[in-house]
Amino acid sequence: MDFNFDIIWGYLPLFLRGTLYTIGFSIASIVLGSILGLGIGFGRMLKNPLWRWPFDVYVNIFRGTPLYVQILIVHFGLVPLFYGSTNALISGVVALSLNSAAYAAEIFRAGIQSVDSGQREAALSLGMTRRQSMRFVVLPQAIKRMVPAFGNEFIVLVKDSSLLALVAAPEIMYWGNTMKGQYMRIWEPYLTAAVIYFILTYSLNKLLAYIERRM
Amino acid sequence: METRKETKTRNKWILSALIAILVLAIAGCGSDKANNSSNTGSTNSGSNAAETNAPETVVKFASDAIYAPMEYMDKDTIKGFDIDFIAAVMEEAGMKYEVVNTGWDTMLQSVQQGTEYQAGLSAVSITDERKQTYDFSVPYFESTNMIMVKEGSDIKSALDLKDKTVAVQTATTADELMSKIMGVGNTKLKRFDSNAVAMMELDNGGADAVVADIAIIREYIKNNPKMKLVGIKDTPNFGSEYYGILFPKGSELKAKLDPAIQKVIENGKYEEIYKKWFGEAPDLTNLKNAK
Repeated sequence: MDFNFDIIWGYLPLFLRGTLYTIGFSIASIVLGSILGLGIGFGRMLKNPLWRWPFDVYVNIFRGTPLYVQILIVHFGLVPLFYGSTNALISGVVALSLNSAAYAAEIFRAGIQSVDSGQREAALSLGMTRRQSMRFVVLPQAIKRMVPAFGNEFIVLVKDSSLLALVAAPEIMYWGNTMKGQYMRIWEPYLTAAVIYFILTYSLNKLLAYIERRM
Repeated sequence: METRKETKTRNKWILSALIAILVLAIAGCGSDKANNSSNTGSTNSGSNAAETNAPETVVKFASDAIYAPMEYMDKDTIKGFDIDFIAAVMEEAGMKYEVVNTGWDTMLQSVQQGTEYQAGLSAVSITDERKQTYDFSVPYFESTNMIMVKEGSDIKSALDLKDKTVAVQTATTADELMSKIMGVGNTKLKRFDSNAVAMMELDNGGADAVVADIAIIREYIKNNPKMKLVGIKDTPNFGSEYYGILFPKGSELKAKLDPAIQKVIENGKYEEIYKKWFGEAPDLTNLKNAK
């Protein structure tokens, strides 16, 4: 097959611009998703089933339905409700954040619950408050255990952001689709997109490995 | 704990493995094409042997059936103008055929290879850019693009769209025309997977206009009278374009189908099918002269 590099060069500036959007979507969503997820994760650990219920529902819904559909609902339902009209940038960040919050919540919950309960009991018996035992004894150990799972979630998120092309968010895959449309060719746009995603996730991998080693 | 040196060698391994995969992927596409001719030959004779003496094979058409009324899925059957049209053409040509909804991307790639699918039937407009990669049948349908706006919009022609937000379906000629008017990299030109999503964007205030094939827009306006939509024709800026059947480069099928298409257009069958789907008789003057 003739692999036409010329058309890739022509689209490279757009792909690079799309890369910036992909990075922006990913970072904004992992940050917002983690904050939201932390709250939901703690909510999932509440003793009272009635209080815990909404958090369980949240996690089940967002983990149990396709991100594809979530993006459409956020873009055509949620965002117009608050913003007045559709906006791909807002819906992109909102949809990815809400989705990753569900996964982050589970990572937090699992991380915290994996710390042996004896640790907390020891801290309490030393006279620490519950808050102090969480802050100084449980969390430092839990966070260390969460890092690999979090890295995994971040990498998945970077690739999931490609689904935002669905609502014309100008990220990498969107420009791939545009290029495909102009030249009616498949491999040039998709393999270029794949290489860019790989560079992004591979760098992220390196960064995460570095952090893991440092902890 | 692994040492730094170990990590380094491992990384080298991963990197070379990856490069190998990419190289294989690209080489794989190459060898596919090289095998093409021999493959088609063998499958043809293979299926014939089992059948009757007639040297007949089933021509497989790939289609992207999300383009009502040209082609769309009604539950699990494919329907539309194109489907009725190809039925008439294949009857004329005396060949067995099958139309499969493969989606746009798969259609493009498999027709380019020409092994599993020998042609693409999906309201594909004939353009010079596409001719570089594919062969087309003689034109079988005249179309033009139309602008759809909400009632009371100040948009009157294609040039008014220059600094508006416009929604189109990716890879359509509407996308191509608007890319020329607005610029390929202009993010106010929003491209969607299907016209259905583009129209939803207009409905939710995310776009000022949708540009699409006239048949699609008319069908949508007809089906959604409550939305108060208007279609705007702009002949000077959106000229006529013609649909053709998509063939792989150098296809032998073209020579067989072209006369059948012309026959169907001339013997009145075409007019019948056209009336069934569009409720009016076609003006065939341009189509007959178009080459």
